[in-house]
Amino acid sequence: MPRIKSLGTVLAVIAILVYVAYLVVYVAYAVDLFRWPFDYDQGEGFELYDAILYSQGEWPYRDNAIYPFYASNYPPLFHLLIVPLLPILGPHLIAGRLVSFIATFVTAGIIAAVVRREVACPEQSRRSGWFIPIISGLAFLASNYVYQIGPLCRMHMTMVMFETLAIAFIAKFEHPQHGRRYLILGLLMLLCAGYTKQMAVFTVVAALSYVFLRDIKKAIVAGVALAVVAGTIFWLLNVATGGQWWVNTIQANVNEFEYRQTIFLFGQWFRLHTVFILLAAGYLIYELFWDRLSIYSLWFLFALGGGALSGKWGAGFGYFTTAVAAACLASGLALGRLSQFKIHNGFDTPTATQPKPQFTIRPLLAIIIPLLYLVQASCMLHLPTSGPIFGPLARTLGVDGALVVGDCTTFQYHDSMGYTQLGHHLTPDDYAAGEKILRYVRTADGPVLSEEAMFSLLSGEPVVTNPTQLLNLYNNDLLDTTEIIARINRQEFGAVIFRAQFYPPPVLKAIGENYQPVEQVCMNGFYYHVLWPRRMFAANEE
Amino acid sequence: MVTKRQLGIIVIALGLLVLLSTIGVDFIGAGEWSGFGPLQRIGLGLGITVTVVGAILICLGDRPA
Repeated sequence: MPRIKSLGTVLAVIAILVYVAYLVVYVAYAVDLFRWPFDYDQGEGFELYDAILYSQGEWPYRDNAIYPFYASNYPPLFHLLIVPLLPILGPHLIAGRLVSFIATFVTAGIIAAVVRREVACPEQSRRSGWFIPIISGLAFLASNYVYQIGPLCRMHMTMVMFETLAIAFIAKFEHPQHGRRYLILGLLMLLCAGYTKQMAVFTVVAALSYVFLRDIKKAIVAGVALAVVAGTIFWLLNVATGGQWWVNTIQANVNEFEYRQTIFLFGQWFRLHTVFILLAAGYLIYELFWDRLSIYSLWFLFALGGGALSGKWGAGFGYFTTAVAAACLASGLALGRLSQFKIHNGFDTPTATQPKPQFTIRPLLAIIIPLLYLVQASCMLHLPTSGPIFGPLARTLGVDGALVVGDCTTFQYHDSMGYTQLGHHLTPDDYAAGEKILRYVRTADGPVLSEEAMFSLLSGEPVVTNPTQLLNLYNNDLLDTTEIIARINRQEFGAVIFRAQFYPPPVLKAIGENYQPVEQVCMNGFYYHVLWPRRMFAANEE
Repeated sequence: MVTKRQLGIIVIALGLLVLLSTIGVDFIGAGEWSGFGPLQRIGLGLGITVTVVGAILICLGDRPA
């Protein structure tokens, strides 16, 4: 038995080291991104621009048919959280990236705290019982999805933070003294999550379902209160923006659905987080049939609904990050519960002289639990494959040759999820390419149509168009392209910068007729196509 | 407080709703396939699973859900 205990301790230490190593990989990636001034993920610059607009007292929900043809399709809270950082950090992406990065750590901390709170064993000392909570929290940061999206200037991880806080609070709504306070705080967090990103609706349903199962009256009151407050804010926003809030955040988000993408992403999510998902699903089944359903299991179940939406145009694996948080939390609870479990040899009735024999599986679990976490860690393998530390580590792990290939470069990065546009570090060539594109923007003789906002923001030029939003609106017959096409036909824009040609087809057609490619620049794994107005070539020929 | 039986009834109702919707889309001509499409097969599997889960829950009686 002591040998088993020693082996368990060794495995637990190895497991913690492995997850700490993932944390180091995450922090190194984040620090690398904090220095990068351009968009790393298409859309980051637009999120920053929304915050800049708020700091200037303007709404980002505007009429897309008139110049500058710009509007946001997201709720305001993430952008409002960036606003206080703008005077300190300037109008740079690091402001939003820091908010999102910190949100991931808060989420990991809540997961660890909740697991600790729920599985703390009174029989054990205060210091023991930290292994599963700590790993559950670190596991969230070790997920390929969280790693890739966490330090981006995108609102998704901030939504997950509010969702996790909401779940942690509402779980205690029956607390004898502070139940009411916890419920109100939980509802407030749900409101924050929803006004960070619309997808939080699944967590709202999970939380209210939990309250409903325990106290129907309270669930109805809480649901009505939340709906009234959320609806009032919604109505006020819509009035303040002259109806553009409704058009841009609701109507524009009705996109084409590709079920094959959903199936693929469900498969990928399962492959990358197999152990967590199986444990969380097992815990859900256990509670459903043998115990009472907890809010954590319900959250895991409903978070799958968010994953089901990942087939929407413009969606992706980020839609599974709530499910990852829920799986990390529920799997921690499952293992915590299991570690306290004792198998009784209970067929014979014990007598006073012959007590009931008891076989505890705890010593075996001391080995099994760290092993499970190590198996899971191997599923999520991701790390840079170059540099003084990561290079030798990648060679040792045998993944230095299994690299992610971008459009125009091979990233010195390995990820078990396969092809991905995110996760790699930037190179000096990327910085040089960014400066090259920036020179085109600075020397343009008019505003620039760019699929990424940072080129314009860094040049002090106006941000013109949000191409994906224009496409969303165009696909829903909500965009009048008359003015933008007229301006393109007049070649008013000094340059056009394409990364993926997201603009609506009529806009792309007009650009093709009036603008001519000058150069394609490889930056961050993508070809950026720079186009000039044809009038400039005509002037040169003369 | 909701019991396992009551939860089972709710779950069965949801399962039947999924099943009816899955079959019903053919009558309104939605979807891109002429026959029983892949999404319908997923819906059918989901609907049956949910209904079976609901039935088991009903058997568990008045224990709290």
